[in-house]
Amino acid sequence: MTVDVSPIYLLDAATGESVEAELRDAIEQAQLDDWQTRWQPALLAVLQNLARKGVPMSQWPQSWHWNWAEKTARVRGLLAFQGFCVVAQGETQGLAQVDLTKSSREPGQVGKPLVYLDYLEVAPWNRPELGAAPRLRGVGSALITAAVTLSVEEGFKGRLGLHSLPQADAFYRKIGMTDLGQDSTYQSLRYFEMTVEQARAFLEEE
Amino acid sequence: MMAKRTMTLNLTDAEMRVLDELSIRKDITKTAVLRQALRLYQTIDARVEKGEKLLFENEATKEKAELMLL
Repeated sequence: MTVDVSPIYLLDAATGESVEAELRDAIEQAQLDDWQTRWQPALLAVLQNLARKGVPMSQWPQSWHWNWAEKTARVRGLLAFQGFCVVAQGETQGLAQVDLTKSSREPGQVGKPLVYLDYLEVAPWNRPELGAAPRLRGVGSALITAAVTLSVEEGFKGRLGLHSLPQADAFYRKIGMTDLGQDSTYQSLRYFEMTVEQARAFLEEE
Repeated sequence: MMAKRTMTLNLTDAEMRVLDELSIRKDITKTAVLRQALRLYQTIDARVEKGEKLLFENEATKEKAELMLL
């Protein structure tokens, strides 16, 4: 498999300087190794700290149980699924997986195909909500941009859908997606969609 | 973007009509319709091969019907 690699820039949160990074349109063994050997220990330290402070599990990072090795193994070889990752400073900074078989729900585009963002996770050390100052900024946005760009390339005109973990609701509203409310068929998570017009505006801003 | 290859497709009038209709209704190109069809067919085939069934449910009546794939 040939992996498409695009240069992108992130922001060093401490210095404010831009950092060279790669957006890759696949999740390979190197990313799974990083997830296992770097993300997992960092996340475990955060969870232990939260447990020590008596923070209830409902307030823990909601993706703490995600297993990227299993997620990627389930869809290996299937055309309907694609992975993306951001690599910078020699390690994986973010991962995403999309599904191309879903259709829109937003009344103005109902039934039309979209890119559905199944999973998006940023490395624990880049997540300000986990307590420490983040190292790099822009990883999540880069992965969303990749999904919207794929939607355009596939002829879906930028349409994007996703179920948001509660801690990310505000982010998806901020980037202009339409909040279609809680989905009782999907763990009562809120479902967000990006229309063709919203996608155009989002890509112009990026 | 992944490199693509070109192929000629021979379709009957009826098949071409369906392709045209889907392309308009789904707001995607005819090529995108065929690519979607291939993705869905492969996904369904992989799940059926694992012993799963494909069921349709009527949202109003909750009636379920199995789609037989031979």
